[in-house]
Amino acid sequence: MSNVMKTAARGGLQLDRFMPEAAKLHRLSALLTLVILIIGFSLASQSFFSVNNTLTVLLQTSVIGLLGIGMTMVIITGGIDLSVGSVLALSGVVTGMCVKAGLPVIPAMGLGVVAGAACGAVNGLVITRMRIPPFVATLGMMLIARGLALQLTGAAPISQLGAAFGRLGNGALFRVVEMQPNGFPKVIFPGIPYPAILLLVVALGAAYILRCRQIGRHIYATGSNEEAARLSGVRVDMTKLYAYVMSGALAGVAGNVLMSRLVTAQPSEGVMYELDAIAAAVIGGASLSGGVGAVSGTMIGAFIIGILRNGLNMAGVSAFIQQIIIGVVVIGAVWIDQVRNRN
Amino acid sequence: MTQTPLVEMIDIEKHFGGVRAVDHVSLSLNPGEVVGVLGHNGAGKSCLMRILAGAMVPSAGEIRVNGKPVHFADPNGARDVGIETIYQTLALADHLDAPKNLFLGRELKTRFGNLDDARMLREAQKVLARLNPNFKNLRDPVSQLSGGQRQVIAIARAIYFDTKILIMDEPTAALGPSETAMVADLIRQLQAEGIGIFLVSHDMHDVFELCDRVVVMNKGHLVGQHAIGEVNKDDVLSLIVKGELPADWCARNLAEAH
Ligand SMILES: Nc1ncnc2c1ncn2[C@@H]1O[C@H](COP(=O)(O)OP(=O)(O)O)[C@@H](O)[C@H]1O
Ligand SMILES: [Mg+2]
Repeated sequence: MSNVMKTAARGGLQLDRFMPEAAKLHRLSALLTLVILIIGFSLASQSFFSVNNTLTVLLQTSVIGLLGIGMTMVIITGGIDLSVGSVLALSGVVTGMCVKAGLPVIPAMGLGVVAGAACGAVNGLVITRMRIPPFVATLGMMLIARGLALQLTGAAPISQLGAAFGRLGNGALFRVVEMQPNGFPKVIFPGIPYPAILLLVVALGAAYILRCRQIGRHIYATGSNEEAARLSGVRVDMTKLYAYVMSGALAGVAGNVLMSRLVTAQPSEGVMYELDAIAAAVIGGASLSGGVGAVSGTMIGAFIIGILRNGLNMAGVSAFIQQIIIGVVVIGAVWIDQVRNRN
Repeated sequence: MTQTPLVEMIDIEKHFGGVRAVDHVSLSLNPGEVVGVLGHNGAGKSCLMRILAGAMVPSAGEIRVNGKPVHFADPNGARDVGIETIYQTLALADHLDAPKNLFLGRELKTRFGNLDDARMLREAQKVLARLNPNFKNLRDPVSQLSGGQRQVIAIARAIYFDTKILIMDEPTAALGPSETAMVADLIRQLQAEGIGIFLVSHDMHDVFELCDRVVVMNKGHLVGQHAIGEVNKDDVLSLIVKGELPADWCARNLAEAH
């Protein structure tokens, strides 16, 4: 009898181990949603599942994904970064101006990313030193960065930035092009777009930082219980600053990808992108109350948003209806988060 | 007394606006000594302990450790001189599991600077088993653990590192009888190792059982400081409630002395 009970208990324990925890369950259901979306859109439109459209989705998603990764770090600390859309524009403008000033493309892009990181640092300092709530601090930065981008350019796009500037956004690895006898090139294999590779590298790097490094552990601890983290010796302010700098820098990277794609520095780009980034993180299981989130989840969330926008486009749904649908999805994801927290 | 105290707190004050949470309190602790800190809720016990732990900056006063003046800007400063604290609130990060909480802020790392979660898990297993042999849920977020288990983690965290001075702010409030007994054993063991302990407690029985000395706080003041042999439970109760010893205490003590 007692042996039977013991075995049952042990079996229960083992079952426990195979039961995914709440966060994993959330990510799994997000993944399922993604698969259903892909199947649905493929049935609705023949061109959805084509190579060309897949590449388009990859490109669109890479910008949301880069923003989403930084956003995830900030959200895990219990904060929010509403400035990423504007910082993206400012970074792209800084890069564009540097290129125009004669700087080679790579250092110019580096400066653009530094400008983004600097915006993030200001966010972090305003939040930790002046004790301004993240929502307000980053809302302020949203206006400041956008205003700077427009002021610097006189609200006019910077064009004619040269082929080298467009390589990051338009180039691809392993692209195979054959010259046809009629003199036109024929793309045999479109290759893997650079932005997708960049997204993969950044995602792996961010996941490594969050899972395997002390700063990552402290990011989770800060969002989970800030006072407990402080009493445990975590430098809470430094940890938050780190997260906002990362978010700003990644917004800079995203800005460079986007402007390179357009081969134009557009000061008015990226309006409301912060909402896509927040949605990606929350759909992927990050909790707005802090302490929970993962890069893998945010990647799934970014693809859900990217595919939703692209698929609705392909299916001929109007831009207005698209906004309504994405708004509903965002509220739904946050609602799930709330329900999860109540349990 | 020839021995240098482990800790001396001299004329400590802490104000919150008009509230004097701690008012001109001086208190010392010797190696291997257990000092019970008693008082009503709101008497200022936690504030005094948080000041010593570096979690709160005093409005005035001086702290000396081994005779040297110290100024703690944060809890790390206090930890660096061997002061470990079990906070009344436990100070655990709910979403992290027991090993991650145990090593929070002092994570073990591999040669490459990565978190060494495997080693932290093994070490946590060892130190938790010392307090509760049945502790199993090492991978669960601590929000899912019982109050007793959470308290055990907070205690484990305070004794794992090189502790010289231990502050225990109501460490057994959520514990059952067997765990409380385990903590009592632990306190005696640490005392034998020469560690000085401040034990904030409401349990008069525990205090008389474990402590060498009791200090009583009332409305921010330190109203009494006595060796355990000098007072009985009623005397201490009178100090807690009225802020003074019973009228007959002097007479009784004189009688005992003769
Ligand atoms: N952070 C704070 N801000 C304002 N007042 C506080 C704070 N912490 C404690 N107090 C006040 O200080 C007094 C002492 O509190 P505390 O030290 O927690 O008492 P005890 O631990 O003895 O129950 C109380 O009146 C409490 O309200
Ligand atoms: Mg208290």
